[in-house]
Amino acid sequence: MTIPSFIVKNALRNKRRAALCVLSVAASLFLLVSLLVVLNEFTNPPEDAGASLRIAVRNKVSLATPLPVRQRPLIAKIPGVEAITALSFFGGKYKGEENTMFAQFAMDPEQLEKVFGEAKLPREQLETWIANRTSCIIGVDTAKRYHVKIGDKFQLIGQIYPVDLDLTVVGIYKGTTDDRNVFFHQKYLDELTGDLGQVGMWWIKARSPEDVPGVIDRINATFANTSAEVLAETERAFQLSFISMWANIKVLISSICSVVVFALILVSASTMSMAIRERLRELSVLKALGFRRHELFAFILAESFGLAAVGFLLGAGGAWLLYSSVNAPTLTGGMFPTLDVTPRILGVAALVAAVLGVVSSLAPALTVTRLSVVDGLKTLD
Amino acid sequence: MFSLFKYHLRSVLVRWRSTLATILGLALVIAVFILVQSLAAGIEKSSSNTGDPRNLLVTRQGALAETTSVITRDQFNIIRYLPGVARDATNQPIASGDVLVIINLPRNNGTGNANVMLRGIAPTGRALRPQALLVEGRWFDPGKREAVASRRLAGRMANLQVGQKFKTGGVELTVVGIFDGQRSAFDSELWIDADEARSAFDRPDYSSLLLRPESDEALLQLKKHLEGERRLKVKAVREVDYYKEQTRTAGPIKWLGNGLAIVMSIGALFAAMNTLYASVGARTREIGTLRVLGFRRRSILLGFLLEGAMLSGIGGVLGCLLALPMHGYSTGTLGWETFSEVVFDFQITPILAAKGITFAIIVGLIGSFLPALRAARLPVISSLKAA
Repeated sequence: MTIPSFIVKNALRNKRRAALCVLSVAASLFLLVSLLVVLNEFTNPPEDAGASLRIAVRNKVSLATPLPVRQRPLIAKIPGVEAITALSFFGGKYKGEENTMFAQFAMDPEQLEKVFGEAKLPREQLETWIANRTSCIIGVDTAKRYHVKIGDKFQLIGQIYPVDLDLTVVGIYKGTTDDRNVFFHQKYLDELTGDLGQVGMWWIKARSPEDVPGVIDRINATFANTSAEVLAETERAFQLSFISMWANIKVLISSICSVVVFALILVSASTMSMAIRERLRELSVLKALGFRRHELFAFILAESFGLAAVGFLLGAGGAWLLYSSVNAPTLTGGMFPTLDVTPRILGVAALVAAVLGVVSSLAPALTVTRLSVVDGLKTLD
Repeated sequence: MFSLFKYHLRSVLVRWRSTLATILGLALVIAVFILVQSLAAGIEKSSSNTGDPRNLLVTRQGALAETTSVITRDQFNIIRYLPGVARDATNQPIASGDVLVIINLPRNNGTGNANVMLRGIAPTGRALRPQALLVEGRWFDPGKREAVASRRLAGRMANLQVGQKFKTGGVELTVVGIFDGQRSAFDSELWIDADEARSAFDRPDYSSLLLRPESDEALLQLKKHLEGERRLKVKAVREVDYYKEQTRTAGPIKWLGNGLAIVMSIGALFAAMNTLYASVGARTREIGTLRVLGFRRRSILLGFLLEGAMLSGIGGVLGCLLALPMHGYSTGTLGWETFSEVVFDFQITPILAAKGITFAIIVGLIGSFLPALRAARLPVISSLKAA
């Protein structure tokens, strides 16, 4: 019998215990990976291809305060600005839904390609959209979720605006990080609201990444001390500011993560030491046969390491398989556009599993190495 | 039966080391469950704790929250002079047009900015909300650029202490007082004079209208009248009912709490099964002896189930105790209705604690069922022979 097969045989001697041990590690690691994925969504949202060139401009008071349309020509003539579009969050409800989890924006259709170039939309669909004032384009995820086809009516009940939209779907796009959004004409919204002369935000595309800081400074300076001061920032900064509003939820999730890890180590370590205690007599025999302490320690370590590794494969691997195969927006009720198990998350889970393997072998290993052969042989249990 | 119970109690005490880890593991699961649920309870409590049942809140039809509502000046004047609205000593209707603006302010711990709800309020509006008690400084003077912040908000945001100034909407506001909303939704608000808010944020209209009807019948009549009046297109609800509805933020938190509890308890379940299997294995001879003494198979089964329930019950209680220090701790997150920071605190209610302990016991019963079955099925003779 070789040493590796000895270790495997030992680990599987009590199959039920080995299975339960692996499963409890797997369940905890599955949870840990899931929490880290959610945390990652909160702190590190996916980035669009064109993000490095885009600038978001909002009212300095807050995102909920609109901007006057007179700002558009002033921004457009700032050197380095390649394209500008209005982007107004409509925030309506779809059909009789209680919570509509996709966003709807009014914008300038002609600017879609220039500002949000990563949205893939067939040419003729884009042209139809530009030509029809009451038409809209929807993301492929939303189209699938509600079984909406091109040519269908799409009605939205206004919550923020006191108007309802009666739209026709003329295009379905994909290729952005959040293929759920619905886009329609800012002109249509203006018409319904009686032309308030307001938009929600401006989204700008800079000519080159080097132009971005200068453009941001100039936009902020242009409207300083006017009645509608603005805050221009990069798309990334805008997203992060959005996320920072979640505040303590992030802290909450990270603390739960540490509790999970702690509980995991506690429980598994106790199971492992239980398995070793049962075998004290055998280990004493091995000692009597001439195996050295460090060899015995290696046996125990290899066994607990092996169990933890199988648990990791099951738990983290299972989470990875699950999250890469499910449709994230459907699963989370639209809260997260993607559930991405990044290599970093897998790395953290692997590290936890490794630490677990080491920690849970420490106590039994210590007992064994300190054990005198005679005492061990005397143990009955 | 009682003697069997005593046997199990003593067994647990003898094997305290191996069971301690299981109990602690389960306690952590329950603590997490209770803490997350207590957040949802905190949000619900602050919502249900807000408002005066005598008040009627008028918003635009279709608006989900005051922040997205608009009440024009015409509507304001029509509504407040309707019959049934109570009058004060000077025969003025007791009604307040509020202006709600979401403003972006820096946090005091340097972790970025947060949206804060700023309420422009008339002097009557303050009288209509006796819940907000001034605890420091003074109320703002109408016509001055002064603000009064809730104590909890002042604890989370920069520059909201008495005497400090902050800039928003092109104006500089001075904080002159701190109020305590007494665990209501007002704890997430910043109050200034309504007309100042309208001029600073360029708002021709009000957001909502709060009024005091003469009596409860008058309230119902006014509500019926307002909602029947198609010209106005407004919605009128009791102030307390409006806030009771504002609990959407709690939904996902509850969902998170339940999901966490289920996955974590599956992990704990396996661990508990392990411990109990080991304990059954180690006690094979004792079980045989019990059988010889005349205990039935089902008594053995019941005994081990009881042992599992007892252990998990202890775990549950311990979990509650672990969670308890967080009770009342104030925290905040983004409110879904208002799109601004809601401040609330962990609320560990007796019901929640009972739920946690019950949950623990259920986990214990499930976890001990298979080991208990094994114990009950042990053949008497061979178990007596076991080493």
